[in-house]
Amino acid sequence: MLHINCGRLKVIQTLGEHLKLRQQVIATATVYFKRFYARNSLKCIDPLLLAPTCIFLASKVEEFGVISNSRLITTCQTVIKNKFSYAYTQEFPYRTNHILECEFYLLENLDCCLIVYQPYRPLLQLVQDIGHEEQLLTLAWRIVNDSLRTDVSLLYPPYQIAIGCLQIACVILQKDHKAWFAELNVDIEKIQEIARYIINLFELWKTYDEKKEIQGLLSKMPKPKPAPQR
Amino acid sequence: MSSLMMDYEFKMKTQTERVKVEDLFDYEGCKIGRGTYGHVYKGRPKDGSDTRDYALKQIEGTGLSMSACREIALLRELKHPNVINLIRVFLSHNDRKVWLLFDFAEHDLWHIIKFHRAAKANKKPVMVPKGMVKSLLYQILDGIHYLHSNWVLHRDLKPANILVMGERPERGRVKIADMGFARLFNAPLKPLADLDPVVVTFWYRAPELLLGARHYTKAIDIWAIGCIFAELLTSEPIFHCRQEDIKTSNPYHHDQLDRIFNVMGFPHEKDWEDIKKMPEHPTLLKDFKKSNYVNCSLVRYMDRHKIKPDSKAFHLLQKLLLMDPNKRITSEQAMQDPYFQEDPLPTQDVFAGCPIPYPKREFLTDDDQEEKSDNKRQNQQQQQPQPQQQQGQQQQQQGNQQDNHNPAKRVRMSGPQGHPGQVNQQAIPISQQQDFHQQPIMYNNGSQQQQQNFQQRF
Repeated sequence: MLHINCGRLKVIQTLGEHLKLRQQVIATATVYFKRFYARNSLKCIDPLLLAPTCIFLASKVEEFGVISNSRLITTCQTVIKNKFSYAYTQEFPYRTNHILECEFYLLENLDCCLIVYQPYRPLLQLVQDIGHEEQLLTLAWRIVNDSLRTDVSLLYPPYQIAIGCLQIACVILQKDHKAWFAELNVDIEKIQEIARYIINLFELWKTYDEKKEIQGLLSKMPKPKPAPQR
Repeated sequence: MSSLMMDYEFKMKTQTERVKVEDLFDYEGCKIGRGTYGHVYKGRPKDGSDTRDYALKQIEGTGLSMSACREIALLRELKHPNVINLIRVFLSHNDRKVWLLFDFAEHDLWHIIKFHRAAKANKKPVMVPKGMVKSLLYQILDGIHYLHSNWVLHRDLKPANILVMGERPERGRVKIADMGFARLFNAPLKPLADLDPVVVTFWYRAPELLLGARHYTKAIDIWAIGCIFAELLTSEPIFHCRQEDIKTSNPYHHDQLDRIFNVMGFPHEKDWEDIKKMPEHPTLLKDFKKSNYVNCSLVRYMDRHKIKPDSKAFHLLQKLLLMDPNKRITSEQAMQDPYFQEDPLPTQDVFAGCPIPYPKREFLTDDDQEEKSDNKRQNQQQQQPQPQQQQGQQQQQQGNQQDNHNPAKRVRMSGPQGHPGQVNQQAIPISQQQDFHQQPIMYNNGSQQQQQNFQQRF
């Protein structure tokens, strides 16, 4: 399940990058995607349809503007063909009307809760508080991006995720900010849990070869069933 | 291929669970508003368990438009006594319509001011409590302060969007409505002016917007509140301006600026230093001559409307209508103003327990084509607010206001309350009235008991 999730979320990230969206839009789309499958089986809606739908909705909510339908579909076709051909041998099968229909199902399932708080803004404040450290911010920011591939955004508030990512970045860069962390008024247990989720992801990436394994995983994934034939 | 997009069982299950608006509510023939935002109906629950009225807004167009998205996303999170409460969202999958369910508000400031203006023209006094304007302003500020402190700009404040609750529930309470233009403004991904080059109905539009500001702030809402306050005091839109049917993405509007300077005077450089930085400042210098406005000032304008320049109401108005957005008062400061500490104190029920003199909302007929052509004609003739041109999509908010001039097409709702002219026995001589309201205000909080009940402070 974790593997499949990772792959799907990579689709959102890549689509977002090709559409030149800001990371915050991509992050919100990712959280919508996770929230949907936290409540529904993977077979309910084809993730390949839900991913662009989440992007379409997130861009509106984040005031990035309405993405043109034709541009969204074209980008999906290009990205699937050029970047994910190892997983999807067929062409991207959906059209505008599918995305619009899917958007209503998504809204319904999210219970219209659309505003998502992300760890990016607290991260900026925290790094500013430590002192100007470009390198630290850049790395921690990337770890926040990576954290989107785990379930932490469903389990912990954004400020805790930001601290967790910052802590990992400090360890990697061998920066000693122990005193600064000690002064934070946070539940350090929770921060450790978050860090563990993310480190587990990194461990997984070391051993997991998506290109080799994805076909096997996709074949195991439950698929939408059509209406019974009469 | 497309049949595989969604699981059949999942589709069937959600279909059975989905509640339809027409199954829950009776609203046919009960349209109370129409505009480019969509249609608003007065609805009653079908099962009779609840005899309250509700407002059902069917959003214009199909699917989730940007304005529908904003309204849902923001109102889903916001909760304040002076901000309209979104109870529920209905998504109608068949016709792809979005419906929003709100508490029903019987009145709004557009209708209230219109009623006062008509009464003034007919020289008939309207009986309202002395402190009504003050209570209205206080609650508008309270609601906007809540929005602003949650990083939400309203961006379309005008009388039609300020609702007032009727007899029950929450009698006489202000509700700020229509968040179709509202947005979060902390750390915007794009400059605010990029997505909606033109916001706020002309008459209520702050000078920095008319001069092309790209990074506008909370101060634009405060300016609009100042305009509404002046309009409540005088029954006339303070920056009334002839409106052509302009669909423009250019915020610069010569006639509207001319009107503002005619009331306020031309801004001195020392009063608004950053005016030089405004994108349209060169156009301003080219188009306007300072000398044309030397005799204009807010003091003179309000004095002509019998609002004395030494009154607390005037002092507050002046602070809300400062040309320089950086110097304009904030909602928080405004709520601390001496005006609100002076008797009569603001009340939670703006009608302060007194009978409500305004008529109830009327139902509109369903004759779309005819209504639309009427609107155009009447806008030109009567110069009623023909609000909000927005890029591409014109926003005629609160369509009912335009439809109001055609009594033949409407049905008066039954019910004896809410009619004017029934409370004469409580009138007091004009000489005893407060000076802050130009319209003869004759209600003196009749009995002491009422005063105790309704003159509570916030």
